[in-house]
This record gives sequence, structure tokens and C-alpha cells, in this order.
Amino acid sequence: MSAKRSTTPSPAPAASDASAHPSIAQVLANTSLLVTCGPGGVGKTTTAAALAIAAARMGRRVVVVTVDPARRLADALGLDLAAHSFEPHEVQHATEGNGSLWALMLDAETTFDRMITDRASDPARAAAVLANPVYRSIAGSLGGAQEYMAIERLHQLHTSGLYDLVVIDTPPSRHAIDLLEAPDRLMSFLGHPIYRLLTMPTRSVAKVTNAGSSAFLWMVRKLAGPKIVEDTIEFFRSLAGMEEGLRTRAGEVSVILRSEQTSFMLVSSPRAEAIAESTHLVNALRDGGFHLGGVIVNLVHPLPPPAEAFFDLAPGPLADHVAYHADLFALATSERQEMAELMALAEGAAEAELPLLEGDVHDVAGLVALAARLISD
Amino acid sequence: MERGVTPTWVTSAGVVVVAGKGGVGSSTVAAALSLIAARQGANVLLIAVDGRPGLGPLLGGEPIGPEERTLRSFGRSGRIRGRTIPPEQAFSDYLALKGIGGVLRKAASAASLDVIAAATPGLEHLLVLGKIKELQREKSADLIIVDAPPAGLAAPFLRSASALQAVVASGPIRTQADEVAEMLADAKRCQGLLVTIPEETPVNEVVELAYDIEEKLGLSLGPLVVNACWPYLAGLEMSPTAAARAQGVTLSRAAKAALDVSARFGRARMEGQQRQLARLDELLPLARIELPRVPTARFGPAELDILAAALAVEPRAAS
Repeated sequence: MSAKRSTTPSPAPAASDASAHPSIAQVLANTSLLVTCGPGGVGKTTTAAALAIAAARMGRRVVVVTVDPARRLADALGLDLAAHSFEPHEVQHATEGNGSLWALMLDAETTFDRMITDRASDPARAAAVLANPVYRSIAGSLGGAQEYMAIERLHQLHTSGLYDLVVIDTPPSRHAIDLLEAPDRLMSFLGHPIYRLLTMPTRSVAKVTNAGSSAFLWMVRKLAGPKIVEDTIEFFRSLAGMEEGLRTRAGEVSVILRSEQTSFMLVSSPRAEAIAESTHLVNALRDGGFHLGGVIVNLVHPLPPPAEAFFDLAPGPLADHVAYHADLFALATSERQEMAELMALAEGAAEAELPLLEGDVHDVAGLVALAARLISD
Repeated sequence: MERGVTPTWVTSAGVVVVAGKGGVGSSTVAAALSLIAARQGANVLLIAVDGRPGLGPLLGGEPIGPEERTLRSFGRSGRIRGRTIPPEQAFSDYLALKGIGGVLRKAASAASLDVIAAATPGLEHLLVLGKIKELQREKSADLIIVDAPPAGLAAPFLRSASALQAVVASGPIRTQADEVAEMLADAKRCQGLLVTIPEETPVNEVVELAYDIEEKLGLSLGPLVVNACWPYLAGLEMSPTAAARAQGVTLSRAAKAALDVSARFGRARMEGQQRQLARLDELLPLARIELPRVPTARFGPAELDILAAALAVEPRAAS
């Protein structure tokens, strides 16, 4: 899958040997859309930010889009978690050269609201949807909506011409690549006969509810009461006419995600469960025709040199050192065994490993230090 | 292996919901808890909400699926049964339970849960919790242990009932939401067991989660489980050279180099851990159990035994 990529002209130093892995720097130089994915709890969002800084320091104009950053990381990027901003803002002190770094926290609800406002036929209709109780409670949770909105925003940023590279961090995913399946899920929802029935323009709301012609509505009413039926119908009807636009967009994004300019970056930890999930993701990416640009294993314990055995050592400070060394050596060795399996699978992709850090990254300097590690080899 | 009595906190409620963010080991803690209770003769039902692969084999059985199966037995009465609860199955069980049949059931299969769930947010989580509530009501086990969904999903899962109460005013879904909320708030029937590790973000998130679910749901919380703690080793405070001198041993150059590397990392780690435990003391007034970091990346049945032994204690009271 990577062979076709090696022909892409690259400002970064070319690999000396055709069979060698590309470096992370090469992937960053040759990509215009970078999607990080991986299991939960592996530091994916921090890694996405570090990758974005690395690319910005290589002279590129970069925007990093995160979904749910921990507070310290949000602080480091200057993101205000409560602001619900729609436009990226520039991160200060991230670069010294020509590059620039911008950051945006994706808020599914804000993006969804914006889409309703943009796509609705008139402002009154948009206002009605936004005020609808059913809409309010599902804007952030409709099957695939959050992921779909990530894609919507990603498309806007990618095609805006303002950035050389868009880095997007996906929500943690165990099962597959929810983000990539979201457009299909949303489409199948919108294409469902019941949705069509509800959005048929010839029927009035009253008629549908009174006639009880829909078994679906009958059931919703029976299970959840009459009020929610009215709200639901109103919500579905107000979405009518937006479907075509959504479908077109989903198709466009699907093409972009599989194009040569897009790379996926898998982030994992060295623990066996995370490696198993990552292995699953690598296969899902391959099966889906997506390009795996690199694998980064984060939170790796340092491997100390082996120590000789100390026989008959009495309890005491040196015994503490020896015991600790033995534990760390065993843990670090076993992590490297797990990592080797994943790396073997990620043939042709860039590889990097990041150490387990003392504390969380909480400022730009910390991200810059991580970035330097990512592109050092 | 220590086979003392089951600590009181384990069996103080019929349902224990184990939750924590991704990567902190909440599923393994749920497995260890099952092991403790079953070894003491309890009939345990372990429910993996997210169908976490590997949990069944970790307990020495088959992978956990929607069909309930016995994973392991102990003596005459002790056993661990495992299952997942797929929302679709919970949905059809619920319709059957409510005596909703005929046309409506047909409509349900035609409509598919996806569409109905979209109209009724949080419904899938509620159906799963509702099923757990029924299992508890039927007394289908001495102890039901729920491995809650990981990452950011634990809070929405637990909050689904109260979220639905806000949207749905009447009907069977409302009744179900009310009954689930009632179970969650009843300390005799249900308690939460939160899991974290002694690192900054996991500590911040568990504090947030604890206040969120205790205040908003009234879910009573068992001891906080802090997983993956390195043991405190006083000797690491000294340099390896000084430590060797103190014990009258001369270090080879290679040994000194090796111990210097591990000591530098270990000292920093230990300090970081002390800092995070101190933050927990300050921020979260919960009794606490610290579990050791097992020095392997591949967690198996032997490691589970180590965790179970460390978990089977009365917690250290909140300071």
C-alpha cells in the first residue's frame, strides 16, 4: 500500500533504501490530512498535538482538531473548553520558522447546530429545530452524529486552503473505525423507511399522529408517551431536505480519506490489550482501503541494561534497588515483546516510540519536546 | 494464596458497577472482584457491558458472549457466570416483559432499535441497565458485577436513566428510567466501584466522575481502587552507589550503570505517585485500596490472582 506513496516528491530526506520504513517526518511532510486513531487511555490526543507541532516546526501551516482533550492539554494548546468555538485559533510559541499551528476543539453540538443553520431553508425553520427538545438531547448523541460532525468539520478545514496539513484526533474506538463508518450509519438512518415516512411533505403532523398510520409512532408513543412523538416528528420533518447535502458530503469525505494525501497514524500503548485492539484497527484500516502512515507506541517504560544477579543480598537499600531494577527490566522487556508484534504487522509504515512521562504535558514546551522525539529518527 | 473472609464492602450491595477511564484496568478489577466473591462461595454474575474480549479467558473460561455461561466454579456453590447484554436483546426482552406483542413487536423489528434509539437518546444504555435491574430483582445471582463501558462512556451509561427522565414524561420507558434510577440510588442494591491509576489525568477524571455520579445519581461509592501502584522502596532515595556502600557491597561498573538507569526512573515515578495519591487524599474523601503494578505488559490468570489478593482487604479509610 505504501509503494505508490514512495513516488510522491518529498521535501524531507528520502529513505536510503526502498525497503526501509519512512520516517514520521516524511509522513508529516507528504500528508495533507492526518488521522490519529487507537484505543482509549494511550495518550492519543497529546500525540496528535505533538505531531501537529512537529509538522508546524517543519514549516507547514497546520491545524489540529481534537475531540475531548484533557484539561492540561487543552491549556497547553490555549483551548477554552467552555468556549464552544467554531474557528481554530493560533497556538502561540509553537514554531520559530515559517510554519504555524492552529488548534480547534471539536464540539459535535456546536457543529451540528451550525450545519442546521447553514442547511435549513429559512431562519425560522432553523430556530425551530434548534429549540426542539428531541434535537437538543440528540444533537451530541445521534447514532454516528458526533463522528459525522468531525468529518464535516474536517472537510471544511481541509478544503479551505488555509492549511497545508489537518491533523484530526478521533474518539477512542475499540470496535473499528467508527469515524469512518459514521457517514454510512447516518445515511442508513436517514434512508430508513420510517424516517422517509416521517419526513413526507404531504402529511401534516396532526394527520400522522392522529391517523396512527405508523406503527413506529404508535410504538414510540406507547413506550415513551405522546409528547415525545410530537417532538420527534417535528425534528425529523425539520431535517427534511438536508439529506441530499449530507449524502454528497459523506461521499466526498470517503474519497478524501482514501486518497494519497491522507495518512492514518495509529497510537497505542505497549500493553497487550491495547496492542490487540491496535492490531484489530490496523486490519480494519487495510480492509477499508485506508493508508496506514505510521505506528506510534506511547507510554513505554525505559529498558535498563541487564544487571548481574546478587546472591544472598540482605534486605536493605541495595536490595530495594535490585528489586526495582528486576521489576522494571521485566516490565520493559515484556512491553518490547508486545510492541514487536504490532510493528511486524505495520509493514511499510513509519514507527516511533514515546516514553512514559513523569507528568502530563501541560504547556507548549512539553509538546515541542515530544515533537522533537517523534521526528528525531 | 490468602483465603480470608470476603471484605464487607464487596457484598454490601447486590450490584457492583465497576467503572474507570480507558487503560486504567477497570475490567481486570471487575474480574478480580468476581474471583474474590466466587472463591468465598458466592454465585457471581459478571456482566461485560461492552463485551470486552479476553475477560472470559482471563478468568479461565470461554470468551464472554450474549449467552450466559459459567466461566469458573469453586467448591459447591462458588461460581462465576459471564455474559454481555447487547441492547437489541435487552430491547426484545423488555418488550416481552411488558407484554407488548403482536403488531407492535413486528413494528419493533421493522423499525430496528437504531431508529427508535435515535428518537429516544440514551435508550440503549437504559435498556442494558434495565436488564441488569431485572436480573437483580430476580435475585439471579448473589452478586452482579458490571464492567461498565470504558473511556468517556461510563458517565453517559450511568446517567442514561436520569437523562431520559428529563426527556420522557410518561409511558413504559419513563417507568423503566424511574426504576433504574431508584436502583442506582439504593445503597443496599447497588454500589459503584471507581478505578484509577496514580497519574495526573486519570486522577482528575476519577475525581470528576465520582462527584458526577454520587451527586447526580445518588449512587453510593465503594472504596476507590488505585491500580498499578509501584511499591514504596525507601532504598531508592539513595543512589545505588551509596546503597551498596551501606550494605557493604562493591558494585561492578555494569551493575552501577544498570541500577542508575532504573533508580533514576523509579525515583521520579515514586515521587509522581506520592504526589497523585496526596491529591486524591485532598480531592476525594473515599476509602482507598491500592493495587500493585504487575511487572508485565501481558496480564494473565497468574497476575489476576495477585490483584485479587491485593483487592481482598478492608480499605484504608479516607484521611
